[in-house]
Amino acid sequence: MSSLTAYILKRFMQFVFVIFTGVTLAFLITNLSPVDPVEQSLTQLTSFGASDPRAVEMMREALAELYGLQGNLFEQYLNFWGRVLRADFGPSLSAFPTPVSKLIANAAPWTVGLLVTSILITFVIGNVVGALAGYFRHNRALKVLGMAIMTINPIPHYFLGLILLILLGYIFPIFPISGGARMNMDIGLNLSYIGSVLYHGFLPALSLVLAGLGGWFIGMRSLVSNIVTDDHVIYAELGGVRRSTIFSQYVARNAMLPQMTGLAMQLGQIFGGTVIVEFLFNYPGMGRLLIQGIYRGDYSLVLGVTTISIFAVAVAVLLIDILYPLIDPRVKLG
Amino acid sequence: MRLRRLLLATIGALAWAAPVAAQDFIAGLPREETLIIQGPAAQNADWFNLWAPGGGANPNGNQQLSADTLWFINPEGSGDSAWQNALAASRPQYNDDFTQMTVELKDGIFWSDGEPFTADDLVFTVQTQIDNPGMNWSAPFTINVESVEATDDHTVVFNLKAPNSRFHTLFTVRWNAAWIMPEHVFADVEDPLSHTFNPPVSLSAYVLENYDSNGQWAIWRLRDDWERTSIGMTLDEAPAVKYVVYRTAGNPDARVIEQLNHNLDVINDIAPEGMFTIARDAADSTTQWLPGFPFAHPDPTLPSVLLNNQLDKLSDPKVRWALALLIDIRAVSMGSYRGAANIAALSVPPTGSAIPDYYEPMQDWLADYELDTGEGTVQPYNPDIAQQIAELVGPQWGDSIPEDPELRKEMFGFGWWQQDPEAAAQLLRSAGFTEQGDGWLTPDGEPFEMKLQVEGDNIPTLARAGTIIAQQWSLNGIPTEVVVAGPTHTQRLDVGDYEAAIFWTVETWGGHPDLSFFLESYHSDFLVPLGESQPPRNLNRWANEQLDEIIEENRTVPFDSPRVAELGMEYLKLAVDEMPFIPLMAYNKFAPFDTTYWTGYPSIEDPYSASGPFWSNIRYMVVELEPAGSE
Amino acid sequence: MFKVIRDLLRYNTEFLAGFTLTLLVLVFASAHFWTPYPGYNLYLLPPDMPPSTEYWFGTTSRGQDVLWQLSEAVWNTMAFGLTVTILSRVIAISVGMVSGYLGGRADRILMSINDTFIALPNIPILLLVYFVLREEMTWPLLAVCAALLGWTYDSRLIRSVSLSLRSREFTRHGVFSGMSTWRILVREHLPYVLPIVFFTAMNNLIWAISLEVTLSVLGFTDINRPSIGGMIYWANQHQAIISGIWWWIAFPILSIVILFLGLFMLAMSVNEYVDPRSRLDRMGGVA
Repeated sequence: MSSLTAYILKRFMQFVFVIFTGVTLAFLITNLSPVDPVEQSLTQLTSFGASDPRAVEMMREALAELYGLQGNLFEQYLNFWGRVLRADFGPSLSAFPTPVSKLIANAAPWTVGLLVTSILITFVIGNVVGALAGYFRHNRALKVLGMAIMTINPIPHYFLGLILLILLGYIFPIFPISGGARMNMDIGLNLSYIGSVLYHGFLPALSLVLAGLGGWFIGMRSLVSNIVTDDHVIYAELGGVRRSTIFSQYVARNAMLPQMTGLAMQLGQIFGGTVIVEFLFNYPGMGRLLIQGIYRGDYSLVLGVTTISIFAVAVAVLLIDILYPLIDPRVKLG
Repeated sequence: MRLRRLLLATIGALAWAAPVAAQDFIAGLPREETLIIQGPAAQNADWFNLWAPGGGANPNGNQQLSADTLWFINPEGSGDSAWQNALAASRPQYNDDFTQMTVELKDGIFWSDGEPFTADDLVFTVQTQIDNPGMNWSAPFTINVESVEATDDHTVVFNLKAPNSRFHTLFTVRWNAAWIMPEHVFADVEDPLSHTFNPPVSLSAYVLENYDSNGQWAIWRLRDDWERTSIGMTLDEAPAVKYVVYRTAGNPDARVIEQLNHNLDVINDIAPEGMFTIARDAADSTTQWLPGFPFAHPDPTLPSVLLNNQLDKLSDPKVRWALALLIDIRAVSMGSYRGAANIAALSVPPTGSAIPDYYEPMQDWLADYELDTGEGTVQPYNPDIAQQIAELVGPQWGDSIPEDPELRKEMFGFGWWQQDPEAAAQLLRSAGFTEQGDGWLTPDGEPFEMKLQVEGDNIPTLARAGTIIAQQWSLNGIPTEVVVAGPTHTQRLDVGDYEAAIFWTVETWGGHPDLSFFLESYHSDFLVPLGESQPPRNLNRWANEQLDEIIEENRTVPFDSPRVAELGMEYLKLAVDEMPFIPLMAYNKFAPFDTTYWTGYPSIEDPYSASGPFWSNIRYMVVELEPAGSE
Repeated sequence: MFKVIRDLLRYNTEFLAGFTLTLLVLVFASAHFWTPYPGYNLYLLPPDMPPSTEYWFGTTSRGQDVLWQLSEAVWNTMAFGLTVTILSRVIAISVGMVSGYLGGRADRILMSINDTFIALPNIPILLLVYFVLREEMTWPLLAVCAALLGWTYDSRLIRSVSLSLRSREFTRHGVFSGMSTWRILVREHLPYVLPIVFFTAMNNLIWAISLEVTLSVLGFTDINRPSIGGMIYWANQHQAIISGIWWWIAFPILSIVILFLGLFMLAMSVNEYVDPRSRLDRMGGVA
């Protein structure tokens, strides 16, 4: 038991190291960006109204003070860590003075919901079909299905989304193509709101599912087709064990281990295809928030979203590391 | 197999349920009483304070429908008809030396919470912003205002620190202006910079009904007491539009789809091809500024090739002229706007009152204009360019292009400079450049190459114009690279970190000949060295003594004096001589309207209001719309 | 080597099909060296012409021939994708195998670095690096950045295989009989790892090209350089799908699909050849 505690402790130390390095790197890159938030805001404020140039100079100084960009890089960095530890990413520059954490809190449920749902659906369908295709290698229907999945697989998220948008939002206007739910609804756990959210999330989720299927399918099919020729499976077949038992107990279970590793990592990988899919479908999640933050030169928002994603992935990796020795006892602790 | 069946079943089930959901596009609002407008994504959706930075929600209907100030200028109008007294009862009254401005306010205007609007609100607005640096209009008030006082409930007197005949423009809306704050709300607020003003108290005809905390939409409802507002007083009957919805509608493709599905009545901006698709596929249910090609609404801004005058190689007007004469404006018009551009040879947008004030009277001068190339003189102006572009688009648009050359000028602009590589070569030689192989060497012996900076997909038509001009320069011996600067575009222009760029440094009132809107900041007093941040608008970093004289005189001339237009012409002639930047065209916006539910949108035949959804001036359009089928 | 390929072509139909498709795309991409319309030039042809005998794939709204534009675009995109894939494979194999084999402190250090890179969200990092470098961000540099972000997931997978191999008997035999670490890794472990490498290379190529498309759609690459993503960028700028200029989008997608089908079939059949007994059985499995 004590070796397990030591193992977990070590993993936790590593988790801390990951977060430290990731956050530091993200902060440094963001701060080397030439986008000047004060200029960005000034442009926004003055580009359409008649402003006296002398007035602009005064406004510039006032904004620099307001946005808290004064002090050297190290002071800003220390400041940032202080805020991260308090889960407070400071005020958004482009939505001043609303706190970044509030913007993220508004957007996160949408992304998490969309991502978790579509990844789980993808994982289940991709692996089941992949395992079947790997085991029943000469089944024609599965081969056709495999070819279909393989053909869709290389199409980037953006194309898939665009094709779905055109097909089911334009030629046959069945699904909404913008937003997270119908406008002006009572937000809450009522049936019509949940229905509306599912209805609006259908096309973005379908884009993610279709784009993600292939990866699981290929991985699972090759794992299974390799295991099928293994001695213990052949012995089992010779010994008259039922094929469905062989499939589920001998083959699929063994192939699940590496796939589980991949799943946990995918759950943390917030910014895979979701950024571009949210952008395309105008979905109110963190991906869209991030793109807006980048376009508007919003340091604190980009840092906030990035930090949250670093935490999410780091936690997912920690969980796998802790769970892995339980699943595969031959992995030595330490 | 199971997967496919599952998918088909899911799609089938949702397809069956979809029409039920689609009937009620916005929960609880009758579609026939609702106007749906494309808005920007509000990052700061809970924020309705228009007076502090961070107004992410401003153009989501807040400034268009609930805020108000003293005067409006209709950028589409001209002369007296363009001017609208809003909260003010009359035009601004200045004393003789422009050190004092007196404003009379209308009586009988109320805030949406029932409080009366009075002169105290105006005084409070100015005083609060002076007291709180960092508020949006704090700096201009601090610089200009010595003191402000209400002499009675409906009269306010401003004492200015220095003569300024344009002080009233701070309260004059073309896009926005200093909005009036409700004293009865803000007087009790500890820090007006961090007050969200949520829900906002409205001074205009609409009030906030509901909004999305993710900033995707905001809904505004007609006030029950709409008559007690400056815009309501001018109306004979209640506006038919009961609800206005500002919603983000996704990328340009999604906007077109949403309008074709009748879920978006007013589009802010799409690419020309999207506009053509709407005109082709939905001609019966849409309308736009121009009834046929080129459809677009010209904003009173002037996309140009900005040239960094402070760079050695671009400091000579001859070089700048050479670059201008290497451009074939027909190809630029075709490539950027598919011919739907309103081209401009003068350094003022060819829109609104600029056409009668400047473009028409100056045609003869332009036609006679002689340019000394150093090896001879040429007359570079080609008045027939509009005609030629009309012929280029003729095969595609056929009958919708009028035969009348005068009408063609309204659609395609007046003339432009004739592409003339020979004259350009003469200009370069006389500027001390030497030919080498296919290219040129600068007087310093460096190869003459250019970088042309564009913003990118935020303004697709201008990015497209940039790539074509770069190609034309490259083909004529000046290798040019297009740089896509994205969100850093304006910052790099600001500090002079560019050689040439596509952007606008000239914007006008649209409905008034006065050019102070941009010209004020062109004074050489404001010029800074390269690397330092140049105050807005003179991003070309052009310095000229004659220009300074024009600006200085304009400061002391009354706003409505005929001298204003004369000074404008002096500026325009100087800009042709010097070519500090190369004007290209008006900023044409493709903004079609859906007529399924609403009619009576402004158009070139009836330009009663600006129609840009982000412009505060759109309020005059909203209250005039009629339900479809009522006529 | 040639004998192997010849045998595969003769006896393995999957390999033959994959080889043919990949070669087809390669030949098509190489054709751009003889293009009559260099990819940077605009408005040489009438815009918006549908596919016809004169313009096989039609023309774009920018007056370019889609056929020749696509040829150059496929070449450039493949060059980008392959650069990313090869660079990231080198890193992934080295880190994964060394980490899995050595274990202990070396493993922890390498995996700490690995996990740190995994935890960096790719798209925002690349966008930010682009902001910093602006037009100095050339495609080879972008490929290096992408490769630096794209190896981590696969090296973890490879490590997990290596980790299992380490406790296998033949490894112990090798160690006791005095084989060097290098030799054990290359001779004994690499054959088990290679199939994984082929699959992950597939996914990595897809990832790299998706990345190119994502960045281009947002306008954050050199948009003047013909590439699959760049073609889509310009098609979007002209609202090609809405305007019915489908050939501007359909042919780029088609070319990617063919390329990937070909590569996939190659990877599958090569996997069978390299590892005829499917020795992957023991990775994480029950003995």
